Order: sequence, then structure tokens, then C-alpha cells
Amino acid sequence: MVSNSLPFYRRWSASQRQRIAFIVLIVIEILLLAFIGTRLIQVQAVEDYREVVGDQETIYFRNEIVGDPVLFAMVLLGMALPLVSGRLRHEMVLLVAVQAAIVGLTMFVLWPLMQVFIEGFKTEYGTESFSLVQFEKLFQPMVIRATRNTMIIGVISAFLSALVGTLVAYTLTLTDVPWKRWLRNLVVLPLVSPPFAVSFAIILLFGRRGVITYDLLGISKYNVYGPHGIVFVQLISSIPLVVLIVSAVFASMSRDLEEAAEDLGGRPLYVLRTVTFPLVTPAILTAALLSFIGSISDFGNPMLIGGGYQMLATQAYIQMVEIYDLQLGAALAMLLIIPSLLAFMLQHRITSRRSYVTVTGGARTGHIRRLPGWIKWPLFSLCVFLALFNVVLYGSIFVGAAVKTWGYDYTLTLRNVRGLLTSLPMLKNSLIVAVSAGLLGGLVSILLAWLLTRQKFPGRGALDFSATVMQAIPGTVVGIGYIIAYNAAPYFWTGTFFIIIIAYVFRRLPVGLRTGIAAQKQIDPSLEEASLDLGASRFYTFRRVTFPLLSRAFFAGVIYIFIRSMTDLSAAIFLNSGRTQLFSVRMFTVMKLSTASEAAAFAALLIVIILFALGLLGKVTGKSFVDLFRI
Amino acid sequence: MSEAFATASIILQDLSKHFGSVKAVDGVSLEVEAGTLVCLLGPSGCGKTTTLRMIGGFEEPTAGRILIGGDDVTNLPPYARPTAMVFQNYALFPHMSVYDNVAYGLRARRVPKSEIQEQVRMAIALMELEGQEKKSPPQLSGGQQQRVALARALVIHPKVLLFDEPLSNLDAKLRVRMRSEIRAVQRRLGITSVYVTHDQEEAFSIADRVALMNNGKLVQLGAPRELYSEPADRFVADFVGLSNIVPVEVVESDAGGATVRVFGQTIRSRRPPREPDGPVAIVLRPEALRIEKASESGVPVRVLTLAFTGPLARYTVAVDDGAQLTVDLPNPDPDHFFAEGTLASLQLPDQVPALLG
Repeated sequence: MVSNSLPFYRRWSASQRQRIAFIVLIVIEILLLAFIGTRLIQVQAVEDYREVVGDQETIYFRNEIVGDPVLFAMVLLGMALPLVSGRLRHEMVLLVAVQAAIVGLTMFVLWPLMQVFIEGFKTEYGTESFSLVQFEKLFQPMVIRATRNTMIIGVISAFLSALVGTLVAYTLTLTDVPWKRWLRNLVVLPLVSPPFAVSFAIILLFGRRGVITYDLLGISKYNVYGPHGIVFVQLISSIPLVVLIVSAVFASMSRDLEEAAEDLGGRPLYVLRTVTFPLVTPAILTAALLSFIGSISDFGNPMLIGGGYQMLATQAYIQMVEIYDLQLGAALAMLLIIPSLLAFMLQHRITSRRSYVTVTGGARTGHIRRLPGWIKWPLFSLCVFLALFNVVLYGSIFVGAAVKTWGYDYTLTLRNVRGLLTSLPMLKNSLIVAVSAGLLGGLVSILLAWLLTRQKFPGRGALDFSATVMQAIPGTVVGIGYIIAYNAAPYFWTGTFFIIIIAYVFRRLPVGLRTGIAAQKQIDPSLEEASLDLGASRFYTFRRVTFPLLSRAFFAGVIYIFIRSMTDLSAAIFLNSGRTQLFSVRMFTVMKLSTASEAAAFAALLIVIILFALGLLGKVTGKSFVDLFRI
Repeated sequence: MSEAFATASIILQDLSKHFGSVKAVDGVSLEVEAGTLVCLLGPSGCGKTTTLRMIGGFEEPTAGRILIGGDDVTNLPPYARPTAMVFQNYALFPHMSVYDNVAYGLRARRVPKSEIQEQVRMAIALMELEGQEKKSPPQLSGGQQQRVALARALVIHPKVLLFDEPLSNLDAKLRVRMRSEIRAVQRRLGITSVYVTHDQEEAFSIADRVALMNNGKLVQLGAPRELYSEPADRFVADFVGLSNIVPVEVVESDAGGATVRVFGQTIRSRRPPREPDGPVAIVLRPEALRIEKASESGVPVRVLTLAFTGPLARYTVAVDDGAQLTVDLPNPDPDHFFAEGTLASLQLPDQVPALLG
């Protein structure tokens, strides 16, 4: 009797085994949910009222639910929803992957964002009553001024950076000026530094004791602090992004279209207006909108160089961290989300419309235009100016770190480097956070990219939206949302490494996801099908086929998230605590409170670390940092 | 590898697949007997590939069941099915050597190492790939890649082999050679196979039976000979060969056949029309017609065009009532072509196997 010697489960048919495994999984999930439920929803006896009868005092208690029943309901729904699909019911690995993705995005994207809105309607922290009292506060002059200022800065920076960035992109992709490679790398340099390092360097150069204004030109009256300073800094930070996005389109634009237009009788300027420009408009708009979001949500630069100029992000920080008015902070965050989301949706509409630029093998792309000298050389000078400016900007940080007191005493010293030693614990914290966030984020991006491109299941569109919406959410709002959602019982997560890492993973997910999806689309789906067909499980297929083919995209995602986590300030400043203080936050404090030279040492060290990470990226994947930040 | 495989029959019961409102596959029922090769044939978009992908487990049927060897596999994921597919573009793993590609399925099943070596060696010998083991797939020619794909599928001893237009990336000559190789291996191992193609000639030359599909439905299932001589309808007649379909008048009809009248001539059909009351038509194969110098016998026609392809001369001729017919004359004599515009006499066959309608 052969069948008796087989283990009992071997005697079941494949479909019977599958059904039993499914039941086991569901039982495990129900137990898990029940456990989470007891943590998320707790009944607590609270004092209701007291009654004094004679000398006896009776205290009456009532039971109150504490915790997050709404979040629990959402998690429950997220676990149950995928069960609708027969396909997922029959493949448990997929089922668990989809469930995990839904629960993760619900807890760490949707819920914190919802909290910002809910909190903004509450009368006081910890109460359940809602009112519009915060909205009355929103009409106070400070808020109106901050909103107006934010929009003005956002629009001006977006417009100017789109204009300058497009001219630079055109010059460096389609004309025959010399040193294009070097110019391009130098122009996009600000991408790799912490954003607020730009303000800091500008102050070193143009501040009250700035090396250019004071030492070189002898001007002592010039004041760099204020809205013009913010716009200037935002321009330096946004132009690289515009250059990358628009260059990509210029480079892939087929020359045939313009030739066809010329052939049909179009004069050069007519062709430029009717063919060339319409082709790059979507890219320019996308770049402008991303600069807009970047400028209105930035927090570090206005704090450093704003000179008290009130913007929404800085006011939200002051309300929450310095005045402890969580509700007004949340309400200000809402004001910040609305234009960001509008810009995001507009950008989504523009880019999701049929792409004009088709990359085909045969088309002649990147054709060099011969321009008359009176156009070419001014454009070239603009690029050289930007490149040199960046060199001076970052040079000043390194020089500043090596001298005694910037602005007063330029003797060389190692004192500032020694000063860094006190910040080693923060550097360790930052590295722990950035490395973990990078690895986790890289893995989540690849898995989610695989789910979104390869699998069909109900709610895929919603999942896609939740995974990419963070792109439009200012870091300040992310920090505020996470504090409101997970500060209190039963979590107490604020200040832990866990919540900072999670925040970075989900905040940078959109870019990781885009890299992952682009790479996934390069891989023929039949490779994975062949593996499954040959009897390999989903895990085995992922490990042996999908992941090896995606490894470059994975490392690119890891390094991107690492760099962005090392340099982030706006989310970190809300989420870290004394024990988990991050290097970037420490550096920001030093910039505000200490001497310029001490702060310069911090910035220099951070830039060295980032350049090291980029070198590693180039070695592992053969990509340059320009590829990494291309959207 | 040379021993017969433990093979199994495939049964499709009322299989349907809807993509939104589009019925890609619509109620297909089909049985593939163990050890035979069935071709799914049809124009692009007819649902043949979707049907194959449902057998392999890559698409979830909207309705219906799939049984392999009597076991219901409808809801099983691909890796739990006893099938192996040869993909249109081969789907060889670009980051693995030929050897690792072939060994993949065995490694995924955690077969002992010594056994893997033995099995892979046999599969490589069977497909005549000795000496190529260390190469990576892009270094191989199209035909070699095709053999690796087949070796990789065979080495796991599947009960069912699935072919998704496996020859469409090869040039015409290699296509003919590879299809006879595939057929030889399939016969030798006696393995149940489903083969998808849109090429009628390929289907006829390789299959035991052909399942012709159109608009998601199975139109006719039968041996190539049956499809050719007894097409179920105009679509089949047209798809399995360039056909002249002409309406006829039934003179008499009984169980033993029918006599019909067309262009003033009478033709005998060996089978009666399926629906004697409806309109009846006859299929006049171009190769069954002849034209001769104008004479009293036959149907008077005018030659419209002549195309000389080498093995045959293809004429288009017009009958008096306006009908146009294609006539293929095999082994033509270039000195005696009928010039365009001349009058000729068309000879119809005395008998046809069956009628349409």
C-alpha cells in the first residue's frame, strides 16, 4: 500500500490542499486581527461624576472607548477587501502581499493625512467634540498673511525656475556649446545637499558679514534676509529639477517632427512655436508644479533666511512645536495640503495625457541646432554663471568649515572638525534611520511596483493613488500627521526610530515606486510566467527571476531614499526626540544658534557622506546621480 | 527522457473569459485526448491565446472548468499545474546560462543535485544542444533558443505541453524545420500538447486535430482533412484555404448526397446539405478548378488577372453573371498562359465532398 507510506497531506489533491491552506491562513489572520483589536480599542473606566451624600462621597465611573476604532475598522476593511477577488483567494502569497500593502498604506499614508483634517476640526487636543473654532482662527491676519506669502513665493519661484531651467536645459541638450557634461553636473549640484544648506551658504556669501557683500564689495547695509532671499534660495534649489526633467524631453524629441514642419513650409520661429514648444510644454509644466510644491512646503530655508517672513510651513512649526497649539498647526497644514494636492492632480492630468514623446529606436534624437552667436553665447554665459555660482556656494561651505570664525577670522583650524565629535551620536542615529529606511523603502518599492504592474486585483487604482500621493504632501504635514496619529495611547511612537523610518519609507515611496515600475516594465512578463509554469513558487520566482533583474532599480531606490533621509529636516524636526535626534536637525540648530564656521563643518560632513553614497551607487549600478533624480 | 511520459487528457468545459464587456473566450468546450496534439487556430483576437493561458493558469476563467487527467485545476496557480509552456518569445532567463535555464524547474522543485545533472544532460542531448550549456541565451540563434525553451519545458516531465505561437519569431525556412522537430519530439514522448498558431499551414502539418476559433467561440474541431473537405461554415472554408464560395440551387437531395446546379452545370455532393431549407452554397477550391481554351464544354469565363508564383499560376476569372473566381493551375507552362482579357472555358469538378449551409 503505497498511499499509507505517504504523509497524510500528500493524499489530498492539489485543490484540497489549497483550500485547507486558505482556511488556515484566514484563521491566523482573524486571530491576528483580534489581537490588534484589543490593542487598538480599549475600554477604560473614567470618572463621570461624584455625589456627596452626607459625609460619603460616591464616584461614578462610565466606560469609554479609547484608541482608534476608526483605524481598526479601516484595517479590517483593508484585510477583507482583497478576499473579493477569486484570483487572490486562490493564491495566498498574492493575497497576503495585497493585504499588507493596503494595511501599510492605510496606516502610514491615509490615516495620518486624515488625522490632519480631523484634528483641524477639533476644539481641543484629546477631546472628541468638533467645531469650526480653528477656522475662525484661520481668518486672523497672521494666517492670511502667511497664506498670501506662501503663494507669492511659490508662484514666483516656480515661474522663474521653470524659465531659467528650460533655457539651461535647451542649451545643454540641443546646442553645440563646449563643456556640456561639466556644466550639467555642476548646475544640478544642489540636488545632493540638504536643501537648507543653500540658505546657509548664501548667508555665508551675502550675509551681514558675507564674504562677497562685506569683504569683497564692502557693503554693510545689504540685507539678504527676507522674501527676496527665500525666492533666490528656492531658485537655486529648484532649477536643477527643472533642468533634469526638461532635458530628458529635449533629448528624446525626434528631429523628424521639426523637419517635417520645416518641409511643409514652416519658418524657424513658426516651427518653434507650433511644434517644438508644444512638445515640451507638459514637461515644463510638470517641472514648474514640482518646484511650486517644493517651495511652498519648504521649511528650513524660510526659517534660516526668511528674516521673520511668515509662511505656512514655518507658522505650522511654530504653532505646533513652540506654542503647542496642535489644532491650529493642523489647520495650517490643511491650508498647505490643498494647493499641493491641486498642483499634484493638475500635474497628474498633464502627464497622464498621451505622452507626446515616444522613444523609438529609429528616430533621430538629440539633434544639435546651429544657433546664431547672439543667442548661443548669452545662453552659454547663463549656464557658466549658474555652474560657477554653485561651485562658489559649496566651496564656501568647505572653506567655512576650515577657518576659525567666518566673517571675522579666516585662519585655518581643525577646531570645527573637532566640534563635530559631539554630534557623533546624532550621526549614528541618522545613519541607522537612513540605512534602514533605504533598505526597507527599496524593498517595499520593488514589491509594490511588482504588484501594481503585474497583478490585477480590485482596488489597484486606489492603492496606486495612496502610494503616490505622498509626493504632494509637504514634509511638515507628514510630520504633523504622524504626531497626531501616533503620539498618544496606545502607540506612543513619537520620538522612536520606528516612526521616523516608517515616515521616510512612505514619504519617498513615490520616487522608489516610479523607478521600480519603469524597471519592471522593461522586463517581459513571460519570464515570470515561465518560472511559475515550470513549477517555481511565487517566492522562488521573485528571488531567482524578478529580483535579480530588478536589482539595479532596487539599489537606486535604496540610495535615493538614503540620501533624502540623511538630508530631511521638515519631517524629522517633528518626529525625533532627544534620544533619537538626527544629524540634520542638530545641524539646523547649530546653524541657527552657533557660529557659521561650526555649522559649515556639519554641512561639509553631510555633503561628503552623500557624495560617498553616490559614488557607491555609480559603482553598483553604473548610474550617475543625474539619473537618480530624474523624474 | 526517451521513455514515454505520464501524460494526461485535457478537458475544457464551457470555458469563458470576459475582459470587461469583451468576451475574449465564449463558452469553449474541448477535449484533448492523452498523447495527442491539438492546434488552436484562428485569426488574431479570436481567443486562442487566452484559452491557452487559461490552461496554463495565467488567466482566471470567468466561467467554466479545466480538467487535466481528470483533476479539476481551474483554480490552481500556474506552479501547481502539471503543464509546461513554450512561450512565443521563449522567455529564457537572460541572467542565467543555458544549463541554469534548463535546470530551473528541477531546482524549483528541490530535486537532488545528481538527479538534476542527469535530467538536464538528457534534455540537452534530446534537443541537440550539447556544447551550448555555458552560453547565455542572447548568444544563441533563434532556433537554438527555441530548443532551449523546449528542453526547459520537457525536463520537468509535464503532463501537458503548451505552445504559444512558438515559431513566429523564426524565418520561414527554420519555421518549417522546427515544426517537424517539435512534432517528432511530441510523438516520441507521447505528450499531450496544445499548440496555438494563426498559420493554417503550420496547424495542418503539425496537429492531430485542429480547433478553429473565431470571436471567442470554437467554430469547428476535427482532423485537418475534415476541416478542409467539410468546413462547417463560410468562415472555416475561407480560413483554411482561399475558397470560391458560390450559392447553388439544390436539384435533388437524399441521405446519400445531393445534386446541385451552378453556372448551368450540375455537381454531385457526397453529403446532403445540413439545412436543406436554407440557402445552400458550394465551396469551389481554386486547386480543384481548371481553365482551358474557350470551347463548348465548361463555363465560359473572361480572364481578369494572372499572378505567377512559380509552382502555380493563379488566375482571377469572371463568369457572365458577374461572379469572380480564383483558379490555381499547378505546374504551369509559361509558354501557354492565358493572357489577361482573353476568353476561356472553366471546368468544374464533378464531385465535391460536402455543401455549405
